[in-house]
Amino acid sequence: MALPLPPGLTQNEVAFLAEMEMVTVVPRQRLDSIDLLGGKTPQLRPPHRAQLPLWLALLLKKQRRANIVPPAWMHPASLAEIIHRETKEDPEAFSAPPPPPSRALYSQPGTARRLNHHASYLDDFTQSQQDSQQQQQQQQQQQQQDPNSILSPPFLPSNVAESPAGYLPYHWLEVAEALLTHAGDDMPAPAGEVRSLLRDLVEVRAAKMRSSTSALEGFGDAWLTLRGVGAMELAENRAFLAGLVDGVRKIGASAEATRREEEEEARRGGEYGGDGDEDSDEDMGL
Amino acid sequence: MSYYDIDAILTDAEKIPCTFQIDVADLGYLDNQPGHTLKSGSRVALPIWLAEMLAIANTGAVVMDDPSQSSKSFITFDLPPALGNDVVQALKANPRSVPLRDQSAHFYALATHMMELSEEPELSAVLRKTFVSRAAEIALHARKVGGGGTSYHGRDGGGAAGKGKGKATKEDNASNLGVGGAGEDFLRGLDEWERKLFRSAHDGTKASKEWMENVKKR
Repeated sequence: MALPLPPGLTQNEVAFLAEMEMVTVVPRQRLDSIDLLGGKTPQLRPPHRAQLPLWLALLLKKQRRANIVPPAWMHPASLAEIIHRETKEDPEAFSAPPPPPSRALYSQPGTARRLNHHASYLDDFTQSQQDSQQQQQQQQQQQQQDPNSILSPPFLPSNVAESPAGYLPYHWLEVAEALLTHAGDDMPAPAGEVRSLLRDLVEVRAAKMRSSTSALEGFGDAWLTLRGVGAMELAENRAFLAGLVDGVRKIGASAEATRREEEEEARRGGEYGGDGDEDSDEDMGL
Repeated sequence: MSYYDIDAILTDAEKIPCTFQIDVADLGYLDNQPGHTLKSGSRVALPIWLAEMLAIANTGAVVMDDPSQSSKSFITFDLPPALGNDVVQALKANPRSVPLRDQSAHFYALATHMMELSEEPELSAVLRKTFVSRAAEIALHARKVGGGGTSYHGRDGGGAAGKGKGKATKEDNASNLGVGGAGEDFLRGLDEWERKLFRSAHDGTKASKEWMENVKKR
């Protein structure tokens, strides 16, 4: 009552956060590295691609200082594949989020390990490097990125800039909208085509969000799975889903209380004459 | 349930059928017999907050010659007609076609309150199924109602003209079909919980739509 804002992030806040995602740009002018709170941006030298936060990339794009390379998943073929998977292959579940970043293990060819899973991957990496020149590069990399740091989503390059085709990153809708609106001429296909595919995807997933609620109908092992749902979709449906689950909880509350009492009684019956540690059990029940 | 929750207060004022177990002097006016004694066995509709108290409390009287008469509760109560067998059967058949608001404006709140007072395992299962399947329908209407369809209409880029516009008009028609006629009846039959759900779903969709329209301005 007191707070007019609903719990959770609003759409505008989500879109604001999405601007921290990294995208790849092709600069048209040289630009020195800028010291930002989140770290230094790379030096921009015209023919070389660089990764910048979305807000900075959009700013440079508006000033015609850079072109944005749309992420692989925004290619029409990738979007069409995702739509196909969402509608035909698995009409129940949302398509999976992009896999966590991984790197091939040099000591064990053919296997890969999650990047940043724990720091020891660097040891494998260093051992296998015999060439001194490569070791220098390795040390440079280590300086740039502390191996003990765990990357969190806003600065995960795999989330947008390096997200593979066929997967939707967490901020897919916000980033796609921003790129389509401000960098439509950089798209691999006419912006209208990408936009209409995106719109189809939104509709498919909204319908899926509605039908996913039917999982709550039965008693017992009923749950809602929201794996692969994007930030904007969550912001849109948070209040509805929370209200729905809360309603189901209230309707089932008395039956649940009865069930617990019965279980308690059954346990007491079993423990009849036992060591009398019921007090601690009750504490756990709370 | 908060002390200031107006819905909780209104739910407590819903009347349920009660049967008096004892004679009460001078309460005859409750049964259209002013000035008389209210006989035991007479059926009167009482608000929940009162019925609850009377059903739990007992007279505390000790009658030596007839132990069965001693300390029984003032009243017994039944399920209100809104939760009667007819309604439950109709909900089992097709949850979406029952206008719950006609039964009670606080249908679910009333039902959960009744389930707290007396055990109704079957009712709980039926209500859960009803609530969930109606929620899906509510979400659909919340997305389609007002502003004609999806969050994307009216913002086709110039390049998208052909394919995009054709699709949008089709969806427009579809959503209007959904909202007109049967849809309106359905929305009128929502109880308070469902109205809240509708509002939250609709607010979410609306906020998304506003955001979509504002992307271009920045």
